[in-house]
Amino acid sequence: MRVNKSVGILLLFLLFILEGTVLPRLIPNAWQMRVIPNLVFIVILFVTVYHHRHTALILGLSFGMLHDIVFYGRILGAHSFAMGVSAYLIGLIFQTPRAPLPLMMTVVLLGSLLSDTILFGIYSVFNLNQEPYSWAILEYMLPSMLFHFAIGLLLYVPLRRQLEKLKNETRKEETA
Amino acid sequence: MLKLFKLFNNKRLFILLITLVMFIVVMGFSLGTRKSLSWPENFVRDTTGFVQGIFYKPAGYVAGFFEDIANLHKLAEENEQLKIVVAQYTREKAQYNFIQSENERLMKDLKFTESQKEKYNYDYRIAHVESINTEPNNSTLVIDIGSKDGVRPNMAVISTEGLVGVISQVSNFTSTVKLMTMMNANDPNSQSAIAATAIGKENATFGMIESYDPKTNKLTMNKIPPGDPIQPKDQIVSSGIGGLYPRGLTIGTVDSVKVGEFGLTSSAVITPAADFQDWKELIVVYTQERAE
Repeated sequence: MRVNKSVGILLLFLLFILEGTVLPRLIPNAWQMRVIPNLVFIVILFVTVYHHRHTALILGLSFGMLHDIVFYGRILGAHSFAMGVSAYLIGLIFQTPRAPLPLMMTVVLLGSLLSDTILFGIYSVFNLNQEPYSWAILEYMLPSMLFHFAIGLLLYVPLRRQLEKLKNETRKEETA
Repeated sequence: MLKLFKLFNNKRLFILLITLVMFIVVMGFSLGTRKSLSWPENFVRDTTGFVQGIFYKPAGYVAGFFEDIANLHKLAEENEQLKIVVAQYTREKAQYNFIQSENERLMKDLKFTESQKEKYNYDYRIAHVESINTEPNNSTLVIDIGSKDGVRPNMAVISTEGLVGVISQVSNFTSTVKLMTMMNANDPNSQSAIAATAIGKENATFGMIESYDPKTNKLTMNKIPPGDPIQPKDQIVSSGIGGLYPRGLTIGTVDSVKVGEFGLTSSAVITPAADFQDWKELIVVYTQERAE
């Protein structure tokens, strides 16, 4: 199966929908406040490592904004900023088309922590949360990191295959 | 600084700074209260809301089916309890009707204006949850009724157990519910405090529910005057004083009462009635629109 760019974005949108509707049903009640799934961001991390960081930046900004607008509780733009910037920074450091599985999994862990930390920072700057960072790490950042790790493992093979195909295609187009 | 300029070339640094400023402007702008949303926001929310609705309901049915099987043995017990509750309800219903008609007669005799009579006459509208965001700093739900159905920001939203939050933003066909778990006395943009009282002590008890502690999952009720008869295990409901929240919404039960931080008033720790998870249907409480 071949996935081109527009279908890929549509699939990403589908993932965003699943994250808000089906996943909370699957996560046990006791863990609902502790595991905060962000599936779209995992895919964006794959894009930033195997494809290009600029694509990841645009994807992060736009899907973050989508998340912000749909779940508009207090502030707009927080997710957009966190996802865009952390995807770009991770890409700046780790962008290697031949990254092996362990490196990619480290990236997933680091990226998840980084984006959660940036979000925490934004909410602190606007005086929207009163909890200390140490509590936040243990309460929800670490569980989410582990959850993202597991999802990253599941998605690794299909995502990498598709991204490499996409890369080959663009290369062919450029040479032709 | 020069090194920084070299690291990013001039153009990139320029774009970076402009985006940063843009983001700060957008965040600051969106932080305050907004009466209505712009059309791109409306469009995005309504289309995603529609797609989310398609996915959420079937997922709920599947999950609900397994839950039902798991709860099968509890059914007889629950049935017994419900029978007792219904018996009590029918007894009280007769009493209530007497009091209601007497109340109406007195209102008429005392020449209440039409708006005064309608003040506590609420309309309850059921809403289905479309999607959930469980993040501690931004816990919101999307529900499937919007401004076309007459929803306005700051309306109270309840579940079958009790108050869960208020409407934060409304678009044409969907609205966002801001959960009570984000209540915070130190945050000027938080949901405003709820004037509350206890069932059976409506004229004697008063307090303001001001914040939620995510560490202990309890609400705090402050500003309880000295000599207040509030006690642990009291049922706390909203009192409707101030007019922001409707009267008589269940909030929770008192855990403990202690002297407040300045020693003048007491504060109580309250276990919320709603459990803030496993969302199915919610009820939006429509209050009469007042001329402002």
